[in-house]
Amino acid sequence: MTTAGTNPYAALTVVELSEDPAGEYTGKLLADQGADVVKVEPPGGAASRRTGPFVRGRDDAEASLNFRWYNTSKRSVVLDESTADGRAALAALIADADVLITGRSTVCGLGPHALAEAHPRLIVLAVTPFGLDGPWASYRSSDLVGLALGGPLNSCGYDDHSIPPIRPGGNQGYATAASFAHTGLLLALLQRTRDGRGQVVDVSMHSALAVSGELANPFWFYPRAIVRRQTCRHAQPSPTQPALFQCADGRWVYFALILADQKPWQALVDWMDSLGLAADLVEPEYADLAHRQANFSHVQELVEVFFLLLDGDTAYHEGQRRGLPIGITNAPEELFGDEHLAARGFFVEVEQDGGEPALQPGSPFWFSAFSAEGPRRAPRLGEHTEAVLGR
Amino acid sequence: MVTVDRRPRQRRGPLAGLVVADFCWMGVGAVATRMLADFGADVIKIEDRTRLDMPRRLPFYKGDVRTYGEEDPNPDPDKGGLFNNYNRNKLGVTINMRTERGREVAERLIAASSVVTENFAPGVMERWGLTYEHLCELRPDVIFARMSGYGHRGPHTEYRSYGPVIQAVSGLTHISGLPGREPSGWGFSYMDNQAAYYNSAAIMMAVLHRELTGAGTLIDVSAVEVGINLLGPDLLDVAANGAVTRRPDFPTGNRLEHPRAAPHGVYPAAGDDRWIAIAVFDDADWKALVAELGSPEWTADPRFATQAGRFASQDALDEHLSAWTRERDAHETMHRLQAAGVAAGAVQNSRDLDERDPQLAHRGTFFDLDHPVIGEARFEGSPVLFSRTEQDNWRSAPLLGEDNEYVFTTLLGMPADEVAELTEEGIL
Repeated sequence: MTTAGTNPYAALTVVELSEDPAGEYTGKLLADQGADVVKVEPPGGAASRRTGPFVRGRDDAEASLNFRWYNTSKRSVVLDESTADGRAALAALIADADVLITGRSTVCGLGPHALAEAHPRLIVLAVTPFGLDGPWASYRSSDLVGLALGGPLNSCGYDDHSIPPIRPGGNQGYATAASFAHTGLLLALLQRTRDGRGQVVDVSMHSALAVSGELANPFWFYPRAIVRRQTCRHAQPSPTQPALFQCADGRWVYFALILADQKPWQALVDWMDSLGLAADLVEPEYADLAHRQANFSHVQELVEVFFLLLDGDTAYHEGQRRGLPIGITNAPEELFGDEHLAARGFFVEVEQDGGEPALQPGSPFWFSAFSAEGPRRAPRLGEHTEAVLGR
Repeated sequence: MVTVDRRPRQRRGPLAGLVVADFCWMGVGAVATRMLADFGADVIKIEDRTRLDMPRRLPFYKGDVRTYGEEDPNPDPDKGGLFNNYNRNKLGVTINMRTERGREVAERLIAASSVVTENFAPGVMERWGLTYEHLCELRPDVIFARMSGYGHRGPHTEYRSYGPVIQAVSGLTHISGLPGREPSGWGFSYMDNQAAYYNSAAIMMAVLHRELTGAGTLIDVSAVEVGINLLGPDLLDVAANGAVTRRPDFPTGNRLEHPRAAPHGVYPAAGDDRWIAIAVFDDADWKALVAELGSPEWTADPRFATQAGRFASQDALDEHLSAWTRERDAHETMHRLQAAGVAAGAVQNSRDLDERDPQLAHRGTFFDLDHPVIGEARFEGSPVLFSRTEQDNWRSAPLLGEDNEYVFTTLLGMPADEVAELTEEGIL
């Protein structure tokens, strides 16, 4: 029974049989919040242990940073499903679990629906590239292929269309599937609190991406327009002005200059003028929107020059201080020094096998009533086999 | 045409009976509470007639193409397609929160709800006296979900943000693009969607916690922090190895370093700006691809004999493969390669998703609902199918103030003449 102060996931037992980052990240989301996630690995270890990046100078089964990223806070159990013993051990784990995360069509010889029937309280969380059935269900996918077929890739890339659409980094196709796996599981858990019964939750990465393109579908559903990609700004039916400006230190800021809004326009001109860089933008005719629009390329040039004379952090913080929605394009290594994140205690130290602890992102959620601790060390291969299987 | 009954009814689903006083507006908040509404919660969207929600103002109209940002100077608040997409299955009421009597009505609504949601700039809820402490007085087990760019603690809470700013600040923009030039980043507000999904999850975790313990909670979710959680293993490479990502060969565009896939990219297809993604991970994939290409001479090049060799020779490899894909329709190539066991996918636009994707059609990922002003419209549905739970699509988005009478008189039990008087005075 959960008591006040305890994360509701602390009562959950999860078996994870995942072969891609979508399932592994789903397991991580649960484990980092306190669920007991038992990651079942074959004797040679999960494929993610053989995927880089690796700890510098190492390439053994414990050295994959890819594995460590996707498997924090879990327990690792090794079992050999080619043996009767191994299959029996897996069946026993599943019989005791609240949730089974899997991308496979069968586990212990049973499909997801048969598993759910055999275990009435079990929630079978099937996280697959296309869903459990349908004409493309057996098609192969990957992060890139998923983002292409699901639509997001059509919106991403450069103004120059001789360059293909460019995949955004960080396995976001898989991450989008994981988000829906998480919310889908929560709906099934809430259903189970009402009637005591589990069910099959069938998550399709393809469908998840097809509903996550923001404006692209509404542009098609309503005005029947197809958006076209632009460099680092919204894909649109017709071109808009660049929104990325380079600063003196080579870093880029994102700033969408929308001429129609009087307040941000005045804030920008005042800022430029305070450094003697507003040139003729202070002239009274620029108070008129039509004049600004007619001279847009001149305005854009002056703004480009202005940012080139500021360093990135100054542009970000001073712009924000003046009420402008400006974002610095941080590199990952620049996040650890961010004063806001530091004040929130966001990054947490996570123990690393054979090395110093490393900073990793803390919980993406904060609750006043219960703890949301965030990540703990990823398990060594088979580290918990004995504790879990009793051998 | 059949008149659709738009009157509120008993909802179905795992969240049926949950009443949400929803102050959210714009994209993130509306998408976050949409999932609650889709699965049975009575989400009561609270709007201000004098300060229309942006998606009500944006001209996503049938038969009228405009670029985002080209606003309609005199919009019909009930005509906007984006608002319809974000707010289906919700109830809609109007309250002028800048009046004391309006705030009194809002407090009655909160007392009758058990979840309160908002994504305003910091300070707005406080200005209305709606702090967590006060909400607890109105409803002791309340869940108060606060969604923002930077969170409600820390020196940058006042910073202004929307999707592209969150993507930039969290690092997601920097890790996306070709090496040696500006990032291509994102062509949409990815983080509006992801922050919304994380907020939906946080609210449901809080509901689960309340079902187990009886206690409510305050929730603080920062979109920047969600974004950093999504950076992937590159961040751990930095933290554990001291790697620096401001380097000439980072990021790698469509090429994949971990694992070392090759060919791995987006290749031209027949037609105007049409493309196909192909991903080859190992020797078996390569053999299947070569067979499907008809084993042309160039594939026998010793440089391409091993996965390591192919990875090291991607420029040449991509040139050969492009020459083949360029002559062919993206979908036909995809089906051929997939039949041979090679991971491949056409770069689909929204029309492709809607009209030529049998998988989405099979799953019913998009669905239709009628709307009194817009007419029949298509919606983005649930990518998750359940064996015992269904998305309860009962109505398209509310017209402005459509459910005032139901919510204020039936749900809250206010006398009809009081509601009429407050409406007359512009408070409701």
